[in-house]
Amino acid sequence: MSWLTWRQFRVPALVGVVALALFAAYVVHLGLDVRDAEDAYRAQCAGRPDCPRLAQLAVDYENTSLYLAALLAPVPGLLGMFWGAPLVARELEAGTQRLVWNQSVTRRRWLAVKLTVVGLAAMAVTGVAAALVTWAMSPVDRAADNRFSTVLFGARNLAPVAYAVFAVVLGVLIGLVVRRTVPAMAVTALVFVVVQFLVPNLVRPHLMPAEHVTLPMTASAINQARGLGGITGAPVVKGLTLPDAWITDASELRTRDGTPLDRAIFDGCFTDPPRTGAAEGPFGDTATCLADHDLHVDVAYQPVARYWSVQWLESGCYLALAGLLAAVAFRRVQRRPS
Amino acid sequence: MSLSELAVHARGLTKRYGRRPALLDCDLDVPRGRVVGLVGPNGAGKSTLLNLACGLATPTTGTLRVLGSPPAANAAHLARVGFVAQDTPVYAALSVADHLRMGAKLNPSWDPALAARRIARVGLDPGQRAGRLSGGQRAQLALTVAVAKRPELLILDEPAAALDPLARDGFLRDLMEVVAELGATAILSSHLLGDVARACDHLVVLVGSRVQVAGDVADLLTRHHRLVGPRDERDRLPAGVEAVATRHTGAHIDAVVRVDGPPPRGPWRVAPVGLEDLVLSYLTRAAGEGNR
Repeated sequence: MSWLTWRQFRVPALVGVVALALFAAYVVHLGLDVRDAEDAYRAQCAGRPDCPRLAQLAVDYENTSLYLAALLAPVPGLLGMFWGAPLVARELEAGTQRLVWNQSVTRRRWLAVKLTVVGLAAMAVTGVAAALVTWAMSPVDRAADNRFSTVLFGARNLAPVAYAVFAVVLGVLIGLVVRRTVPAMAVTALVFVVVQFLVPNLVRPHLMPAEHVTLPMTASAINQARGLGGITGAPVVKGLTLPDAWITDASELRTRDGTPLDRAIFDGCFTDPPRTGAAEGPFGDTATCLADHDLHVDVAYQPVARYWSVQWLESGCYLALAGLLAAVAFRRVQRRPS
Repeated sequence: MSLSELAVHARGLTKRYGRRPALLDCDLDVPRGRVVGLVGPNGAGKSTLLNLACGLATPTTGTLRVLGSPPAANAAHLARVGFVAQDTPVYAALSVADHLRMGAKLNPSWDPALAARRIARVGLDPGQRAGRLSGGQRAQLALTVAVAKRPELLILDEPAAALDPLARDGFLRDLMEVVAELGATAILSSHLLGDVARACDHLVVLVGSRVQVAGDVADLLTRHHRLVGPRDERDRLPAGVEAVATRHTGAHIDAVVRVDGPPPRGPWRVAPVGLEDLVLSYLTRAAGEGNR
């Protein structure tokens, strides 16, 4: 059975290996580039162990790091589409399951071998890709200390491998249900994208009970934020940061007694703040005006020390989900054949 | 006859796709060692019955035993049943040799010599990709993969449907030879009576999702007679004589009847019935019931 699986899978596998080789060449080149830059900054520090110049590395490579994450993020989904979805759907579409299911191999074993071979191949491909990206960007990650951020978390270490296993099993099951290759690929991509959007926003923040802290909104704190006001004009401060933590949830601006800041006051400070003539920072007099109201924001966060725990937990969740989908596929291939 | 002596044993076998019945309440016993022809018009339920027998479909209700076990019960049972599906599916991207290698890898009872001999005799190029074979060559390849695992029961769903009359004749003769060589039971479906008349010694007529008649050909031929006599005798057939189909020609009727025993005496001429006439009588009767 493994011979037949390999014989049918060798062309897609070859395409995957070639794509991986191109990706690897690019990422290795990038990683060496990052190390050259790191060495240059270290030289400027002349042997000081804490080398503050290295922080510049995070700024220089911020976009590259995001770009690499965006390059790695679709890999599990593509494997689910091109390796997972056609695995059974192509057989059902061409009618060849009527040939192979009448050899002396049960359908469950047939599916088990196919899933194992393609699942392991997907793990290997994403494992190599993720390891390379993790290696290449490690000096930047050390300098930036933001690997717990929503985007980068899924582009480092273990998580992509678990995504790939999930995507492949998802594709196989959808192919088994939809029975047609191209629609199965489309549905797989759609479902995978939705899951990948929902998990970082709705699941990951709650994988471990969040810590809570109240951040006083002084003028300097407001000036360190990325923006003021929500899309609907709500009184919020966007892009708050906390050292060594991933902020998972932040309240709107609250007054001393915990009630939300009155919108009229917020709008007033925003459009027509009292001129002090001495205000500094990107928000100037607005920040001073808001700070005068003695405001604070309640935030929930995950300490960076939990990074590996959350990596394992999230990977575990994806693998468990993949196991569940595989169980459904095994049940279906046996009970509801052609 | 005990269950293990039967190739196929069905009781109340029903398969519905949604609300549409494809097979309704079928009772069927097919003994081993026969070449069974499953005949009926298109859409009669032939493929459904064969797909159920090889486990590609599961019954809605009823019981079905193939070689004494539920269809496709386990790997060992799969090894005992060979199946050539309708339009003889093969892997288009794999070569003829790849198909034989697949057969060898997936079937412990694979007979490589038999496979090689057949491929050579029907003139298939081992290096040829299966997607480039003609319909007849594809059927031969599918048949080779099915027989080289030396099954006890070989099921073929319209195996010769895609072939021209000459290729069809060769294919069927070849099929008979290999079935004899294996000592296997074979069930083949066809909507062409000629195929069945030539190849089969046991007959199952399926029309309108129901089994109309089933039995050994020789036995069926001795139980059925053609009666030709005056028209007004029609309603006076004796008890135990069942008119399968009647035709009126002027003042005479011409009836195909089924009798358990010697032909009935009366003012009619008794003639033997050919297999094709016999099947046609049942098809006509079932079609008449369907129209009513």
